Amino acid sequence: MEYTHNDHDPKKEPPVSYAEVNDTVLKMLEPPGTGWFLLLFTCLFFLAIGASCWFYQMWAGFGESGKSHPIGWGTYITNFVFWVGIAHSGTLISAVLYLFRANFRQPIYRLAEAMTVFAVMTAGLFPIIHLGRPWYALWLIPYPNQRALWPNFRSPLLWDVFAVSTYFTISATFFFVGLIPDIAAARDRATTPFRKILYGATSLGWRGSHAQWKHYTSAYLIFAAFATPLVVSVHSVVSWDFAMSIVPGWHATIFPPYFVAGAIFSGVAMVITLIIPLRKAFNLHRLITPVHFDAMSKLILLTSGVVSYSYITEFYTAWFSNNSFERFQFWFRPFGEYWTAFWGMTFCNCIFPQLLWIKSLRTNIAFLFILSIFINIGMWLERFNIIFQSLTREFIPAAWGGYNFSWIEIGITVGAFGWFGMWMTLFIKYFPSVAITEIKEVLPPPMRKTNSGAHH
Amino acid sequence: MSDSSSRAVVGIFTYMDDALEAVKRVKAANFDYRMYSPVPRHEIEEVTYPEKSPVRIVSLIAAITGCTFGFTLSILCSLDWPMRTSAKNIASVPAFFVPGYECTILFGGVATLFAILVFCRLPNVLKTAGYDPRFTHDKFGVVVACTGGQVEDVKSRMMDSGADEVDVRDSL
Repeated sequence: MEYTHNDHDPKKEPPVSYAEVNDTVLKMLEPPGTGWFLLLFTCLFFLAIGASCWFYQMWAGFGESGKSHPIGWGTYITNFVFWVGIAHSGTLISAVLYLFRANFRQPIYRLAEAMTVFAVMTAGLFPIIHLGRPWYALWLIPYPNQRALWPNFRSPLLWDVFAVSTYFTISATFFFVGLIPDIAAARDRATTPFRKILYGATSLGWRGSHAQWKHYTSAYLIFAAFATPLVVSVHSVVSWDFAMSIVPGWHATIFPPYFVAGAIFSGVAMVITLIIPLRKAFNLHRLITPVHFDAMSKLILLTSGVVSYSYITEFYTAWFSNNSFERFQFWFRPFGEYWTAFWGMTFCNCIFPQLLWIKSLRTNIAFLFILSIFINIGMWLERFNIIFQSLTREFIPAAWGGYNFSWIEIGITVGAFGWFGMWMTLFIKYFPSVAITEIKEVLPPPMRKTNSGAHH
Repeated sequence: MSDSSSRAVVGIFTYMDDALEAVKRVKAANFDYRMYSPVPRHEIEEVTYPEKSPVRIVSLIAAITGCTFGFTLSILCSLDWPMRTSAKNIASVPAFFVPGYECTILFGGVATLFAILVFCRLPNVLKTAGYDPRFTHDKFGVVVACTGGQVEDVKSRMMDSGADEVDVRDSL
């Protein structure tokens, strides 16, 4: 099925024009109202809680984070994996679907890409917070130093540094390059001096001449080609943080594809969580149509299937390995002390999304919003199960232990949502959060002669 | 005596096929021109710039450099500070695939950004003669550089192609 903005109901509504796309999207940049300020201050309030908790942890010591033997990795690493996962669908939608010419991506890709950049910014904080002494984070970077030391290039933790920093750089660059022509459109309509300066500087003086478009489209394709393998590689590298160890429940070769599918699953859910209120608030119904929600729902259904299959495979592998530690770990998860986390994850990620087989629910906005929040919770629980449950029951009973959340961890987790929300809130009001140029690309161009051979 | 001063003739078009027709007509007379559009289209590329962009060459060279850098960095650092694990090689190529791969992407991506800036001549904070803000909205533009004596010829080519309006400015 070919998705375009004019396909959803051509008999009832006139086709979207270039001018309407500009008008609708740039209207979102009008001076903010009370609701926007309320949202921004809420995010800032959460951020302040998180920042306070982090500073307290640095002052009082890492013991305040609630971690002790055997739980060395807890909420912070769970949050790290969760936010890297959230970031993934942005790159999938912006790069992979671009290469496949999936037209349903156009109205949602900008928001997904912004989500990617801000989610990686959030994810990147957690390994640094987890260090306890964040000023030593510099030591992860291979630079000539007086200690004559180099980091261990065989460690997956160092691979993470390369993978996440490259992912952030490329995502941010891809995001910014995509924004340039749209910022130029905002510049050409700006009325206030602040906006004229902001858009004038950030559009870099883009004019849209034929030579500029030629180099731009060529470069954009190359960016997409560079970003596409990152979708697979980054979460694979993150999964190796676990899979390269010998901890029961972590030491599994299925982890890379399992993590990548889970990342896309959670990321698409987060896109839906964000785009539904945005569509309502800015009246984007003509640009973001039920067709787009249907396509995203199918992506959720597919990735939910892959994730569910991975869960089953983990259990099968544990049983087939005949390794008592592995077997015990996978008995402990559903029937042990923390069974609620396991069954919560199973319901949210495997059972609830199956309702999307019903066609009417794939375009039911209220249902999708609720489902997307459940999936977000389920995917956080998945990472919690993998990290925490595996560590709490390692090899010998003498090394087993429990774990209680500390208020510091909860505060920092809440603060991360505030940090992410703050960037998203600022972005949607100051930059075009729906891609003007790319939507126009899938519209038929204005032609005097209807049979003059327009193609894309 | 003919007017030899520099002029820019700006044609504004609602329809893409009209703008492309104007481009074909000014190209046929060997005028220097620039076409503006709110969106990239293959039809425009085919008429204005059918050659391949050199951006990809820059990206390829940078990506190969990045790959070499990633592997070299990993190997040299490991040799300088050897951490031996049983009888395994210190320069463990499979483990160094990740830094090598990531540096390939990183160098290639950053170089592609610089290539855009160089080939698109960005940042450009100076005003461009002939540019109209409607070109980022819903209009197509064709701007032709000519001498004062050629203005009427260019204008007639624009109008015959279906321009909504044609304006003459000082220079391109």
